[in-house]
Amino acid sequence: MAEMVRKSSVDEIVNHWILAGSCFLLMITGYAFLFHIDAISNVFGGYNSMKNVHNWGGVVFIISLLYSIRHYLIDALHYDADDVQWFKVAGGYLSHKVTVPPMGKYNPGQKLYYLAILGAGIAIALSGLAIWLLKDNAALLLISHLVHNVSFSIFVIAVPVHIYLGTFANPGTFQLMVSGTLSLESAKKRYPKWMKAAGKM
Amino acid sequence: MANETTNNRKALLVTPEACIGCRACQVACKSWNQLPGIKTTNQGTYQNPPDLASAALNIIRYSEVPSQENPVRWLFVSRRCMHCEDAGCMTVCPSGALYRTPEGAVAYDRDKCIGCKLCVTACPFDVPRYDADGKVTKCHLCVDRIGAAMQPACVKTCPTGALKFGDRNDLISTAKKDGFTTIYGEKDLSGLGTIYAFKDEPQLYGMKQNPSIPSSVVFWHTYLKPLSLFGLGGVVAAAAIHYLAIGPHKEKEEEKEV
Repeated sequence: MAEMVRKSSVDEIVNHWILAGSCFLLMITGYAFLFHIDAISNVFGGYNSMKNVHNWGGVVFIISLLYSIRHYLIDALHYDADDVQWFKVAGGYLSHKVTVPPMGKYNPGQKLYYLAILGAGIAIALSGLAIWLLKDNAALLLISHLVHNVSFSIFVIAVPVHIYLGTFANPGTFQLMVSGTLSLESAKKRYPKWMKAAGKM
Repeated sequence: MANETTNNRKALLVTPEACIGCRACQVACKSWNQLPGIKTTNQGTYQNPPDLASAALNIIRYSEVPSQENPVRWLFVSRRCMHCEDAGCMTVCPSGALYRTPEGAVAYDRDKCIGCKLCVTACPFDVPRYDADGKVTKCHLCVDRIGAAMQPACVKTCPTGALKFGDRNDLISTAKKDGFTTIYGEKDLSGLGTIYAFKDEPQLYGMKQNPSIPSSVVFWHTYLKPLSLFGLGGVVAAAAIHYLAIGPHKEKEEEKEV
């Protein structure tokens, strides 16, 4: 059997699924609030109980998001010349003929995605807490409502891109969120700089 | 925003000039809607209660505005929900608790209210109030009465005709015929459902000039709501097109290139 490399720790995989699950729940209930979708609110027992699900789901989400900092933030803050080149060829997503520069553990698209989710996630959580707990301050409520919805728009656009790139667009990637491992051979091809740094190449 | 004007839209016409400040409308409202009394203190004015409350869905505002010929001139004006055609509260309500009745009133479903208070921030007239259970309350034009072809309780009891309820267009044209030059709310927010007939400047009576929904709510409704829907749809469509037109990364191809 081929030698396997662990890219995602069990800790990271479990937290990512908590983050993904709570995010999905929040988006579904969020859409139901935004467009008064009774078919969804009825599943949660009406708008009042759906509000509780949404609020406490948000608590789970922000704890999980803050915990994810230990997995991704340091990587997400470091960029090099190859990352600039990666953007010039659009990561190879718009054409298979271009040469994609060698990547480390994460490509710059993933790194920026993480920063966007972290930023929008903190914004949506803080504004959500204000809407939930500080609703008697009218000015704060108005600003929070706006921030909450701007962040929501970022989420509903960025997250589906992330899901597509992590599944259909890159076959073999999804298993990193299941087993967390991939073959050494694939790892050398996909993450050569990471493998070099780890002394496997 | 919301534009659901129907030809049979009803309205409540207030004619402050005819109001004698008896406050029978306040009492009738309490009586019909079974609202408790409010303990208040004298604030140096006969206006009582001092402002709208969860147990005071309409009040008579007392303004003392002395004039040259009348040193004790009192101006009375009925304050309550304006039942805007373009209703900020309805637009922003996340649970659909605030809704439009067939007569054009803005009413609410207490069970659906989740107590978020967004309607308070979106109202140009500072009308919605919350009761002890954290549910929205406001004038609903006696939705249960007008739905049965009766008049709102306040109108029914008004002894001077300062409050009238009926077809909106008829009320406006009659008031204009009677010499009321300014109909407050005829055009504001696509037309209010509570309109006021004045011969003087409405500002004299403390009416708000150019009422408008907060710009952040308008921006959210006009741009962010569609963006969140078409953004998601656009990404899903773009992903499908990308998958079909360009296709996923394949490791073997990359090997060939290297």
